[in-house]
This record gives sequence, C-alpha cells and structure tokens, in this order.
Amino acid sequence: MADFNVSSRVDGDVNLIDVKGYLDAHTAPELENEFNKLIEKKQFKVVVNFSELNYISSAGLGVFMAYVETMREQSGDIKFSNLKDDVYSIFDLLGFPVLYEFYKEEKDAIKKFG
Amino acid sequence: MENQTNKSNLRNLSALVDFGNLINSSLDTKFILNNLLLTCFGKFHTTKGLFAVILNGKLQFSISKGLNGNSADEFPEVESDNYINSSNFNNYLKNHKLVHSQEVFSADKLIGVLFLGERLSGDDYSEDDIKFLQTFLNITATALENSISITQLKEVNRNLDNKVHQLSALFDLSKEFGGILEIPLVSKLLGFSIIGQLLVTKYAIVIFRDDKYEILESRFNSDLLKQNISSFNAADISQPILCNSELSGSCTSLFSMGIELIVPMQIKQKTKGLILLGRRNTGESFTKSDIEFVSSVGGLAIISIENSILFKETLEKQKLEKDLEIAKKIQRNLLPSKLPKMKNFEIAAFNNAAKQVGGDYYDALKLSDGKILVAIADVSGKGVQAALLMANLQAFLQAISKQNKELGEASNLLNDLVSDNTSDGRFITFFWGILNDETLNFESVNMGHNPPLIIRDGKIIKLKVGGMIMGVMPTIAPYKKEITTLMKDDLVILFTDGITEAMDQDQNEFSDEKLEELSLTLSNNSAEESLEKILDAVNKHTDGTEQSDDITCIVIKVKRENFG
Repeated sequence: MADFNVSSRVDGDVNLIDVKGYLDAHTAPELENEFNKLIEKKQFKVVVNFSELNYISSAGLGVFMAYVETMREQSGDIKFSNLKDDVYSIFDLLGFPVLYEFYKEEKDAIKKFG
Repeated sequence: MENQTNKSNLRNLSALVDFGNLINSSLDTKFILNNLLLTCFGKFHTTKGLFAVILNGKLQFSISKGLNGNSADEFPEVESDNYINSSNFNNYLKNHKLVHSQEVFSADKLIGVLFLGERLSGDDYSEDDIKFLQTFLNITATALENSISITQLKEVNRNLDNKVHQLSALFDLSKEFGGILEIPLVSKLLGFSIIGQLLVTKYAIVIFRDDKYEILESRFNSDLLKQNISSFNAADISQPILCNSELSGSCTSLFSMGIELIVPMQIKQKTKGLILLGRRNTGESFTKSDIEFVSSVGGLAIISIENSILFKETLEKQKLEKDLEIAKKIQRNLLPSKLPKMKNFEIAAFNNAAKQVGGDYYDALKLSDGKILVAIADVSGKGVQAALLMANLQAFLQAISKQNKELGEASNLLNDLVSDNTSDGRFITFFWGILNDETLNFESVNMGHNPPLIIRDGKIIKLKVGGMIMGVMPTIAPYKKEITTLMKDDLVILFTDGITEAMDQDQNEFSDEKLEELSLTLSNNSAEESLEKILDAVNKHTDGTEQSDDITCIVIKVKRENFG
C-alpha cells in the first residue's frame, strides 16, 4: 500500500498543510481530518504544499471541494503551491484552476493572504 | 499595358506564395484565419470579414473582423447545405454588411465559408477577384483542415485524459470498497470522488431501505430535502435526470432547491439510492460522460452499502442465535437432572424447549421433612430475559423450600420476590404442591397456571385453588391452598400450555379436551408409560410442523392405597 502523510505548520495566521505520497480514496479521510482540526481551531487560511505529493485521485480532490466553501465563507481560502507537473495536470484537466489559486512557491501563496 | 497586367499578376503570385508559406507554418486555426482575413482586407480593400467553419454539418462562427456588436453570439444556427437560402442567415449577413461569400473545399468537401464586406472603392468583386480568391482559399484549405484536425485531436485527447482519470477514480474506489466498510465511510468517499471529479460543492446521497429513505450526506438544506424527497415516489427514478430535461417533471421540487442532476444508484435495475448534485462550480453543464461516471461510482458504492447492511444483519442474526444458545443452556441447567425417589409415588417428567427459547420450568425436590415439592411454571416472554427470570424463580424457590414454610405463606413470599424482580409486564404462571409420602396428601397452590388434572375412577379433578398469576404485583390477597388426599392408581398430570396449544398443520390446537380425553384412558399405565402416551399423541398432532412453544409435562402415579 502506497504511503500518505499529512502534517501542518503555521506561518503567521496562515496554516500550511504538507501532503506527501499518494492521496486517494484510502487516504482522503486523513486529509479530511486535518481540515476538520483547522475548522475546530477556527483557522480558515490554508495553503496546501504539494511538493512531496506524487498522486491525487478524485476522492482526494473532493476533500478540497468539500472544504473550500467553508473557508471562503469565513474570509479564508484554500490555495495550492509547489505542485509537480503531473499532479498539476490532473487539477488542470478537471478545471480546478478556474476555482483555485495555484502558486509555484509556498511563500507567494502566503503573501496573497496579506 | 500588357506589361502592367504582367506586373499585377506577378504581385498577385508573390502575395500567394508569401501567404502560402506563412499559413502552412502554423497549425493554429485562429492564426491561419486571422491572416486570411488580413490578406483579403489588403487585397480587396474591405474592412469587414468573417470566417465560419463547418462542424457537424453546421456553420460555426470561427473568426470575424470589423463587424459591429456581438457578431459571434448573434451568429445564427444554420445547416451547411442550406445557409444560402436561410432568411435568418441572410439577415445576419445584411446587418453586418457582408456582401460576398466564397466556399472553401478540401478534397471536394466543404470545410468553411469566407464572408467579406463591401470594397471601400464601391466596386463589386470582379471575376478576376473571385478567381484570385478561389486560388487563395485553395491554398488555405489544406492548412485549415490540418489545423482543424489538430484542434479536434487535442479535444479528443483531453476527453480521453478525462476518461482515463474517471477510470482511475473508479478503480480507486472499487479498491477501497472491496472490503466491508461502514456505510458513512462509503458515502463519504463516494461524495469526495464525485465532487472532486466534477467540481461540485453541493450534493446529497440518499438510500432507500425497507420502503423508507435515509439521507446519508447532504450539503443542501436537509429539512427541505426531506420534505421534497418525500413529496413523490423518489425510488421510482430509474435513470439519470438533468434539471430542465423532459424527464424532470416529477422532480421539480428537487430541482427548485438547486439540484441540477439526479442519478439513481441501482442494483439489478432496482433503485436503491439517489445521488443528487448541485451546480458545477465551473459553470459548465454535466456531460454524458460525467453522468456515466456518477452512475458507475454510484453503482460501486451501493453494492458496498448493500454488503455492509447484509453483513450487519448476519452479524446480528449470529449474535441472536448465540444469545438463544446461552438462554437454552441456562434453561437446561435449571431443570432437575434427576427426580427424587419415593415409596408411594412414581414421577416422570419431560421438557422440550422450542427452537425459540421459551420459559417453561419444572422442579421436583426433597424437602428436609422428607416430603416432595413439585413445581411447574411458564415464564412469559422468550430468550435470555425469560431464561434469567426463570433462573430467579428457581433460586427463590430453592431458598424458600429450605425454610419449611406453610405452602400458602410460601406462595405469598414467592410472589412478592418475583414481583420485585420483574419489569415491563412480565409474569409467570405457576403451580406447586407438596406430596406427603406417608399420608398421600397433596397440598397445592395454583398461581394462574393450567390446572393440573387428577384422574380417578374415570373422572377428572382439576387443581384450581390458589390466587393471582405470579409476578404481576405484590401479594395483596393471600394465596389459598387446597389439600387433596390421593388414592391408589390416581394419576396426577401437570403440564404447560405447550401441550394443549400444540398446533397441527391447520393451526388446530391439541386442546384441553383432547388431553382430558386421553388422560381418562391412562389409568392402567405407569407414570412413565402415561407420559410417553401423552407425548406420542402431541407429536402425532403436530406432525410436520415446527414446535412453536416449550412443552413440559409431569406425571405422578400413586402406587399404593391410602391408609388412613
């Protein structure tokens, strides 16, 4: 079974989520858990760093869809950074760039929260 | 003059070559058409132009220059073989002052039409102009066709990529759903996969179970959803329904709350649930391929949900069976393993618990003064609870029997104890009596039990004296006892309703009458033989049916004559 790991960091009032490995139906609940923790702590500004993510399935993408409205309703957002090309191409294929902001570097995404 | 014509021809020729080189260097349709229009503008001194490509037999707007207003959106839908006669289309051309049209062919196939505006000079397009334009368009045709093919190929490729991704999502889920999962997890993963694939944030998942519906997930207003889904027979939806399609009739209430797509989840063509999706956040509409995807993952999920339900049911059934097994064991251990021996009485007893454990109980034990206590009871209810109440009864009975209390008083006490220890309306029909091996006296108290029979000289005496059924409430009116002096060859038959109410195949009870009738024929038999004959008769009566209740019977035979 491919590994998946999720952890979070804080930079000012922005929360950084690092995802590693394979994000699929099996591992999506772990990511969901991380978002639930942030909402419990009333943290709504999120940057997801994909630098070590190798694969994402629709179930994984679904987690972002499930939480983005909550974050935006609370004046926050979910922004993405450091995607590998083939991971970005999946986001692109499904039309995510219309709805989400993507950044090459994590710090650019953080800056956008101002 | 001739020189001038030659010069002009040469200029035309070099323009053609330049243009040919330029457009053949690109596979970008927009680039090619842009250059085509610009070259025409330069050559014919016009400021308006439009190019339409042929797609699926229809003219489709591709590019325009110098036209007023929204020339792209206003472009009328028109068949490629009839656009010349379409008044709608001719009006459009007139509005935009497009006066000349010329068709583009590639290998005899119409691939597009060029429309040009009036020449600034006011001249009409001459025969030479048309000839030139024709040559010009012939050169364009190949480049244009190539670029259109490439664009289409790109589109096909993208669709293919999308399909591949859908398949991998399906694979991802089928892998996950392979094991037995809790239903909430299945519906959560199903939801994630769909909203991740289709970019939807509002969705709901509903399943139908035992003629009821159950909302597993809802990002819509749940109360409104409940109200709307119960307003029509939602389980009848057997194919995907898009909002505003001809099928949307019965589901208007759902569509009015922002649902745009309803996809049934089916097993063997039977709708077991629905996936309800709101608007796509990208603003795009759901394609056939999207709907197929939702149907496929829905199909996977509903099987997993069904498995989960079946698994739980099996588990519960197993637990129940184990429960019954325990109850049976408790019950068996409460019954006496052997019966006491007496000088003047023979005792035979039989108990057979039905498949579903009931609450029959009997006991026969020697008291400290040498007398024998006989008891028979039927505890209401079945299963472990009945067995536990029976265990209580047995414990109380054993304890009281050691206190040498008078039977009536003991009955009062026993009822108080049982009443204190029963709840939710349980009760016990109970009969007990004490046999005196010396005097042949039989003291008895009946607490709502089927009256035992004494068979003597072809007559039946019923032991009815006692009081209220046991366990309903503490003793208010003390129980009465009766004393019967038994005589040689008397037969005492104690039984539970499992005997008299044993059903045959036509639901006829064995009945009290039949038992009494049979009992009268048994006076020459021993206790053991009498018991056997009663059971034989019951078995014959119930032949071919499943035993529905516990059966218990005790037969006491008086061996010698009363001396007293």
